[in-house]
Amino acid sequence: MYKTVLLLLCGALITATENVNKQLVLKNVDRSIDLTTQLVKVSATITIENTGKEATRTFLLVNEPNTPEERVSYIGAKESNKYELKVSKAKLDDYPDKSAYSVRLNQPLESGRTVTVTLEQILTRSLHPYPTSITQKEKQLVRYFGNHYFYTPYAVIKQKTDVMLSSRTIESYTKLKPVSQSDSTISYGPYNNIEPLTDDQMIVHFENNSPFLTVTRLERSIEISHWGNIAVEENIEIRHTGALLKGPFSRYDYQRDTATTHHSVKAYRTILPAAAHSIYYRDSNGNISTSAVKPFKDWIQLELRPRFPLFGGWKTSYTLGYSVPSYQYLFKKPSGEYVLVMRLLDHVFDDMHVEELITSVILPVGVSNIKVVPPYEVERLEDEVTYKYLDNLGRKVIRLRKTNLVEQHIQDLEISYNWQQAMLLHEPILIALALFLMFILAIIYVRLDFSLSKPEHSKKE
Amino acid sequence: MKHANKKSASHVQPSVHVHSAEKQETLLTLSILTLAAILSFATRLFSVLRFESVIHEFDPYFNYRTTKYLAEQGFYKFHNWFDDRAWYPLGRIIGGTIYPGLMVTSAALYHLSWLLHINVDIRNVCVFLAPLFSSFTTIITYLLTKEVHNAGAGLVAAAFVSIVPGYISRSVAGSYDNEGIAIFCMLLTYYAWIKAVKTGTIRWGAFAALAYFYMVSSWGGYVFLINLIPLHVLTLMITGRFSHRVYVAYSTLYCIGTILSMQISFVGFQPVQSSEHMLALGVFGLCQIVASVDYMRSKLSRADFETLYTFVFYSVGIVTLAVGTILSISGKISPWTGRFYSLLDPSYAKNHIPIIASVSEHQPTSWSSFYFDLQILVFLFPAGLYFCFKQLTDSNIFLILYGITSIYFAGVMVRLMLVLAPIMCILSGITVSHLLTKFMKNVVEQPKQAEHKKYKKMEANSTFKNEIATTFVAVTCVLLISYTFHCTWVTSEAYSSPSIVLSARSHDGGRIIFDDFREAYYWLKMNTPEDARVMSWWDYGYQITAMANRTILVDNNTWNNTHISRVGQAMASSEEKAYEIMRELDVDYVLVIFGGLTGYSSDDINKFLWMVRIGGSTEKGAHIKEWDYYSPTGEFRVDKEGSPTLLNCLMYKMCYYRFGQVFTEGGKPGGYDRVRSAEIGNKDFELDVLEEAYTTEHWLVRIYKVKDLPNRGV
Repeated sequence: MYKTVLLLLCGALITATENVNKQLVLKNVDRSIDLTTQLVKVSATITIENTGKEATRTFLLVNEPNTPEERVSYIGAKESNKYELKVSKAKLDDYPDKSAYSVRLNQPLESGRTVTVTLEQILTRSLHPYPTSITQKEKQLVRYFGNHYFYTPYAVIKQKTDVMLSSRTIESYTKLKPVSQSDSTISYGPYNNIEPLTDDQMIVHFENNSPFLTVTRLERSIEISHWGNIAVEENIEIRHTGALLKGPFSRYDYQRDTATTHHSVKAYRTILPAAAHSIYYRDSNGNISTSAVKPFKDWIQLELRPRFPLFGGWKTSYTLGYSVPSYQYLFKKPSGEYVLVMRLLDHVFDDMHVEELITSVILPVGVSNIKVVPPYEVERLEDEVTYKYLDNLGRKVIRLRKTNLVEQHIQDLEISYNWQQAMLLHEPILIALALFLMFILAIIYVRLDFSLSKPEHSKKE
Repeated sequence: MKHANKKSASHVQPSVHVHSAEKQETLLTLSILTLAAILSFATRLFSVLRFESVIHEFDPYFNYRTTKYLAEQGFYKFHNWFDDRAWYPLGRIIGGTIYPGLMVTSAALYHLSWLLHINVDIRNVCVFLAPLFSSFTTIITYLLTKEVHNAGAGLVAAAFVSIVPGYISRSVAGSYDNEGIAIFCMLLTYYAWIKAVKTGTIRWGAFAALAYFYMVSSWGGYVFLINLIPLHVLTLMITGRFSHRVYVAYSTLYCIGTILSMQISFVGFQPVQSSEHMLALGVFGLCQIVASVDYMRSKLSRADFETLYTFVFYSVGIVTLAVGTILSISGKISPWTGRFYSLLDPSYAKNHIPIIASVSEHQPTSWSSFYFDLQILVFLFPAGLYFCFKQLTDSNIFLILYGITSIYFAGVMVRLMLVLAPIMCILSGITVSHLLTKFMKNVVEQPKQAEHKKYKKMEANSTFKNEIATTFVAVTCVLLISYTFHCTWVTSEAYSSPSIVLSARSHDGGRIIFDDFREAYYWLKMNTPEDARVMSWWDYGYQITAMANRTILVDNNTWNNTHISRVGQAMASSEEKAYEIMRELDVDYVLVIFGGLTGYSSDDINKFLWMVRIGGSTEKGAHIKEWDYYSPTGEFRVDKEGSPTLLNCLMYKMCYYRFGQVFTEGGKPGGYDRVRSAEIGNKDFELDVLEEAYTTEHWLVRIYKVKDLPNRGV
């Protein structure tokens, strides 16, 4: 099937070619790499100094050589912990083979001034199970390949890095002095006067039993009804992407093993909006009876237990659906336009990684002038028409696709459209008419006599 | 309660004399029928309300899977469907080996509702099809009884049939099986047949043929129907009631019906070849002869006629005999199938075909289950027969024949209780209606009689007439109410568990759900290779293909005895022997059902003797002897006393692998089997050729992976 693929460009995300401004110097880099979950969360506080004459507004970030672009799920930057900065993809003239981003500062950085920027980067698929397959009883060990130095096109005067691990069991780690280990944290540095783009491989091999779950495909459908309900349904495919299970699965051992940390996943928690009701959790074989709903003040926590525990390489899929009242998400502008504000992606489990997301929004019958404002760059698939309950006119379906998402991508999608209030009565009138016709036909049929001649003696008992 | 009131109300009604009585009657009839139809739908929803909208049992899963295929792929693809997921490596031609009526019905309903943009899931169509058709059955029962007797009896019969457990047992929501629609088809055919006999029109004859076609397309039980109707005709002939009406009706039905029924590819040429259909053919021929004889007699002189008659009689007799002999010797008329033999001789199956005997629904019916499934109908039925005998008409003879034959068949095979239930309801309806009409008159008309002229004489006759009548009506009402309660109780307790999800009461009164079957099937679906072949006992074949979508070796369509026997041999053999068989059959996974931990009694160990018997029933399995599996004292035991052959066979090892370490009950040693109430005899063993792939939460389903051959030199 041919699909026209539209790229929706959000904000100022325009790929531009840039030159590295050699006048910028990183005075201090304080980096921490969080490896406690299946994701690699790098956060760095950098102090940038403009040693040149001219003021500059942008600075550049470059991906590490052993971190391909598709592993970078999210990059965010904040100036002095307050202002969200715009990050856009960039092409470097000096290093065309490197993937880079340009960050636009809040104000131009004057000559001789410094600015502190906090960077946040989430990498997926960057922890590699080693050994790649383990038995049921063994612990899961993973390796992380990183860089001892903050990888940047600018010279760094002073930097240090903390690596946070999920357990104290560390098989090995590269020891570039000065380095120290305390509890489950490895501290590298401080290192002074590092040249631009210096690469020195850091390898950490440690135990990580946190759930390595990947949502391989998430189909989220949002169906709007102007009768006051929004139905959300998520078709989710999940795979355990940790070390593969080697050998047998023994239920006996599994039931005896009461350790709290285990590489298999028994259950996980999904957070739903507080107003969610009529929740269902099923798969192609019917209802999955092992789930519990816990309402909190601001959200509903759903404890989902797949039909079977998930070991490395095992997968499962299910459907989760619920309804929310529309007044919380659907608004009417003074101009008569309706605006739907709903999450493009919602929470599946903590520290989740979604490989592919397809969100379809099923609009009511008879909408026009549709405008879609996604929170970040997404691919818009071809619109579809669907027929829901008693729809004789089709409903338009907006379909959006994005790959490689994490929790930071839980953001609101805005769709505005025009819609006639009278369309609400379309279906009731249709039913009334159909019933009316049926009764009329019955009445006519009963009253009419189609026989050519009356039978002479009708057989009455 | 409501129900019983309703019934008695219908009998008050004929004696109410008011204006526009006819309109009132129509309204009453319609409302009673509507209520009965709704009730028959509603009472079948217990399992949906308790569990969920889910398909039950085993066979319905196959029907569901095929229906889904039909709905998605269309009729031609369905018709030509070669299923490579079943009977590995043989496969199965689905289109040619099923009665497609059920699937076509639900697919048609599904498409119709989608056409109207009522978006129902195909699974829900399947789940609710049987209750829907039982509502139709209620209505058709009314029509049939009304045709045979009167409207009052019809209403009582309809009310009876709407909740009769014998029918509910196979038509609850989710029990998506042929029988669900077949009973409706059968009664529809009977109704059209009675109509045809009464009117003698080709129109009704043709309609009966169409109804018969629908019946043939939906259930193998049509054989009962195509023997009952000729039997009716034959009886009419013998009793001298044969008329032109019967001649027209039967000739039309037989000709059109047979041609139509041969369009079903599973039936094929059976209607003209197999012995089961020979009665119909013979009666058809007889009809022609009798009719022509009658015609001749009216045209010829007596002497001429006698001569002709003798000549024709002998020549036709000789020719028929000769042709029949030749055909049966040459094998054109197939011998009767095993299942049919077991109908006539209940011990046949047990002695000859273990696979038929192993199915619990093929067992002879016990007395208690008659009462359980029919309650007061059992007592009302003979009275109904009596009323039919009292006023013999063509159609009453039909009811008598139907009643007597079906009660025989129901006695032979539990499953056929289903065929008996409607006629029980009809005859009981006639009884109740008859009696109540008689007595209600006295309850109501008593004051009038007092004013009558022959006051004194009447009084002498009916001293307690009013009281007796009132008492009788009250007793009947109590009986009917108790029937209602009984039916509801039976439905809710016995016939509404989906058997795919089990539930039990915990100590504190809460409900525990055992969802292990779906857990295991879903695990298979998700975590085994797409083309993996799963070996299990045939009971679970349909469920595995439908829910796990994996290839299986044998399933509930037990057409190939030797293949099933091979699987039985693998299960009954020692590990090394079994490995050879499993390699031969290309098995990747083996699935067993084990109830020892939870106390689920219909597990594979309890079915094991059947596996041994079926495994030993073919040539290749001659080394498997049932006696090897009994203890020296002749018992089937799993503890230390059990026979060593049993304790070391594959099935035993798969069920009890590592079970010896589990403590199931307080105060009992490890490895205590809660079904057999014994500590298992063989505890610490390892599996050489298999490895545990998955065991469900409550150990109900255990799946093993067949190891590859070991590398050389390791």
